[in-house]
Amino acid sequence: MKQMLTLVFVVLLCACQQMPERVDTARSEAPDKSYTVDLPVGWIKQQTVDKRSMLASRDGFLLEFVAITKRPLKEAFPKTKKAATPDMLPAELAELEIAEIKSQDQFTAALSVAENEPAEIGGQEGFQVRLSYKNIRGLEIQRVVDGFADKSAYYQVEFGAPTLYYFDTYYPDFQKVLASFRLSAGDKKTTGGSAQSTFLFGSVR
Amino acid sequence: MRRNSALHLNSSSRPASVRARTRTRFAFAARCCLAALAVSCAVVAAAGRVAPFPDGAALAQVSGNERRVWDQGDEAAGQFARGGVIYESEATTAYVQGVLDRLFPEFQGHMRVAILKSAQLNAFAMPNGRIYINEGLLARLNNEAQLATLLGHEGTHFTHRHGYQSEESVKDNAAFATLGGMVVPLLPQLVAVSSMYGFSRQMETEADVEGFARLKRAGYDVHEAPRVFEHLIAEIKAEDIKEPFFFATHPKLADRVENMKKLSAGVASGGSGTSVADYSSRMTQVRLDNLEHMLSMGRAKSALVMLGDPDRRAQLPPQASYYLGEAYRLRGQEGDIKLAEQAYVQAIEAAPEFAPSYRALGVLRLKVNHYADAQRYLDRYLELAPEAPDRKYVESYLKIARKKAGGQP
Repeated sequence: MKQMLTLVFVVLLCACQQMPERVDTARSEAPDKSYTVDLPVGWIKQQTVDKRSMLASRDGFLLEFVAITKRPLKEAFPKTKKAATPDMLPAELAELEIAEIKSQDQFTAALSVAENEPAEIGGQEGFQVRLSYKNIRGLEIQRVVDGFADKSAYYQVEFGAPTLYYFDTYYPDFQKVLASFRLSAGDKKTTGGSAQSTFLFGSVR
Repeated sequence: MRRNSALHLNSSSRPASVRARTRTRFAFAARCCLAALAVSCAVVAAAGRVAPFPDGAALAQVSGNERRVWDQGDEAAGQFARGGVIYESEATTAYVQGVLDRLFPEFQGHMRVAILKSAQLNAFAMPNGRIYINEGLLARLNNEAQLATLLGHEGTHFTHRHGYQSEESVKDNAAFATLGGMVVPLLPQLVAVSSMYGFSRQMETEADVEGFARLKRAGYDVHEAPRVFEHLIAEIKAEDIKEPFFFATHPKLADRVENMKKLSAGVASGGSGTSVADYSSRMTQVRLDNLEHMLSMGRAKSALVMLGDPDRRAQLPPQASYYLGEAYRLRGQEGDIKLAEQAYVQAIEAAPEFAPSYRALGVLRLKVNHYADAQRYLDRYLELAPEAPDRKYVESYLKIARKKAGGQP
């Protein structure tokens, strides 16, 4: 009886968990249809249970990953419990993103930032941060995070991989993913990015 | 203190979204482990004790299971070193080691101290005699006597073999066995976990009492001892930390302050290690690094605990007001931006060559449309820090400020 209950529990658990699937066609759409992005064909992809993140990987999520995440502004940075606002400067968002990653564990807390600069993501003014840290085995991990906020949400497109072999190998794939990111037409109407753009760049280009 | 992430040691390379999927189950498993650990520590305390080490020579006799536990401690030490989390400062480490050796002269050469790059107020002892103290705690203490209180406590965990006893109790406890396979994968890290999360109530009390005796014997002013726990209470209030699950079995911090006061009540005033100036001069860099660390993690309230006190701020270099401004800006409560601005201005007056104050003030002025001021401060920032890592951001702000400043004085 006990074994049967365990089996039922495991089956239920598996049923709730969406399994990874192969990327057959590049174009992928967010669960709420707020953005589209082209993932590398042949990779595996998976959505998180909360449907806030779309993950893709070539060799396994624990080795290298691309993650596209959309969170409500108030829950933009869950670890540090900080909110994003549409009028935040990209540098301020980058500051909060770094704090968020640093707050993950004692190894990321010792990270070093290699680059932190303004960036454009799908036509929205945001930031790009490149950072690295060592994990428990002393393996150096590099991460690149691009992010921006609009009137309703904070978006980030992220790539992480060990410096050894994986980062350089798959970084070009990440760049293609990043370049393909687009807010959907409906979502664009609600963006605050244009206001930010005017403040930062729009009026001076 | 915030809960340490020792159980998440392998998670660094995973995205937050991947970790989120496993967090709930893992947190439950971790809680079960710690519950069992807490229960089993109490069982061991009741069942019988392992005699403390009399001196360093006795350590050569360590064998069997205890040796295996020591090896696990060595492994954890290697993980800290390889993970790049050791705060590299020979002078500071040597100073802290000197205080430890003064407290435990018969163990000199056998107990080794290391500083961890962590803003959390924490310190812990591994079963093999390695004592770790976080940079955040080191920065928060006021003098050497307080540091000695802490090291006396942690050193006693080692000399009284608390790590070994805890690990043994975890293995033997029947309650633990019911957790079955869920716990087995975590066992290699339990030594680190038990050390970092603290020991049983009895062990913590013993470490307080024995540590206090060491403090007195070494000639330190014992009246500084309660103040160490007062720093922890201030931190808990600032960060609004709930009573951690595992520490529910431990003496409450307020009780420990009272115990320390009782212990020191009968001891005459005096003793060494009370010079604030001497300790501050040794900790200047640690404190600045810790402030940057706290602020980069968004821990504005903790930074304000350290900087809100003018006496403590006076122990820091003149640019300390800049960090105060950053703490107010990051806290972001009503009126904080005004306070931040005042602090930045103070920082410029006190340390006119310190570039970040100009950038901070320039950005604030830009956000309230004072473009001429913004341009002046941001230009000065790039003049003082031409290689600034955020140069591209600042140049983009300057473009706006220059264009808009046309009509402003």
